Amino acid sequence: MAGAVGPVESADRLCHACVDLLRVDGAAISYVHHGTSRGTFGSSDELSRRWDQFQFTFGEGPCLDAVRQGRPVVAGDLQDPKEVRWPAFAGAMLGDGVRGVFAFPVRIAASRIGALDLFRRTPGAIDDDVLDGAGWASQLAALPLLDLISADVDWEAIGEGGGWSQLESLERIEVYQATGMVQVQLDVDATEALIRLRGYAFSHDMTISEVAWAIVERQLSLSPDDFGTDPDGTATSLL
Amino acid sequence: MNAERERSVTEAFVSLADSLVGPFDVVEMLDGLTEECVRLLDVASAGLLLADGSGVLHVVAASSEQTRSLELFQLQRDEGPCLECYRTGVTVGVADLQRHADRWPQFVPAAQKRGFVSVHALPMRLQDQVLGALGLFGATVGSLNDDDLSLGQALAHVASVALVAGIATTDRTRLNQQLQNALESRVFVEQAKGAIAQHANVTMEEAFTLLRLYSRDHDQRLTDVAQAVATRSIPIQQVAGSRQSAR
Repeated sequence: MAGAVGPVESADRLCHACVDLLRVDGAAISYVHHGTSRGTFGSSDELSRRWDQFQFTFGEGPCLDAVRQGRPVVAGDLQDPKEVRWPAFAGAMLGDGVRGVFAFPVRIAASRIGALDLFRRTPGAIDDDVLDGAGWASQLAALPLLDLISADVDWEAIGEGGGWSQLESLERIEVYQATGMVQVQLDVDATEALIRLRGYAFSHDMTISEVAWAIVERQLSLSPDDFGTDPDGTATSLL
Repeated sequence: MNAERERSVTEAFVSLADSLVGPFDVVEMLDGLTEECVRLLDVASAGLLLADGSGVLHVVAASSEQTRSLELFQLQRDEGPCLECYRTGVTVGVADLQRHADRWPQFVPAAQKRGFVSVHALPMRLQDQVLGALGLFGATVGSLNDDDLSLGQALAHVASVALVAGIATTDRTRLNQQLQNALESRVFVEQAKGAIAQHANVTMEEAFTLLRLYSRDHDQRLTDVAQAVATRSIPIQQVAGSRQSAR
């Protein structure tokens, strides 16, 4: 992937931007698939990575809850006696001097695939402008995660412009419908169907919308053979 | 208002009110609203767009489940009367689209291609906050009369109130969450339609009907069934096979 920014690096960059813009002390992006914890993917620094990983060590934490519930999960002060949700995780965080954790689900086409976690050393509620910013950032975090789980696609072929336009290209009625159709065609789940769609578009120099329309109008049907490298139909080693 | 129309209007509100008692399905409620618009107002098609937390508009309901009709509403996340209505918070009425081809270079030709020549967009509002817009497309040139406009606006108000179900507009986290849930429900419905259409070899509209039939037969909410199909937690042949019970 010469010259291109890889998914891990772009995830790290996004975390750095969160620290710079959202007045927090650390940020991390975790990847969670099928409700199973998979691990920390990007982070603003090593400490944030460690904090994020506590959730996987203890099997509890705001990130896992945010993914499970599909909504932001905020803990303004882990030291508050009323805060009883994640005793082991909170204990470890407090030991490192972290008081506030804010987790935002990361979605691709209604599938929750991870979370953006923000960490703060001072207690307190989260401001509205930070909430807005974190909302945007968690949407952007979908891109590196999508790249991560479709690592077999040649991303140098990406021709759809910047991050936002790529995300927007996925938020379309025909793409949702085509995703459902590909699920049945290939017997895969929604996230993987979307990755197949996107991969087909890139390798055939089409937009995602064009591929989706061709599928919806039944001019195109995807088969596992479309992805030569993996005849058994599994998308990547990660899924 | 003649007696027959008055009865239809009353029925529309009673039916909306009924859908709000007990656990109701947001997609079905809003789809119902757009169907009432087409039935009661002098319009050919109606669709509802809701804004997400970032102020981007998404289709959440429409009077036709045809993909091309849905797309025409969706296109307005970038330009068009519904987007303008959402941004300004006031009604946008266009009696003759032809004269606004420069204003919306993508939207106007797309609407004309589908036989629509006039558009009215009404805001979905909650106090001072705009949640989205109701788009009404006409097949004939001309403005909607005042009766139709105020009736459409009244339906949009009821839907707005139902949608946020008592959440204060100051509680932005919960409000955004509620809207996000509605949008996510629509994504699941579209994915499920696609899966059923593929499995049963039917059109998207027929797939939607099968989804609806199954949810009614099994006394489950439409979007719960759609989510179960999209996440493959129920076998698709169960839902796709509900055609038999329709006959």
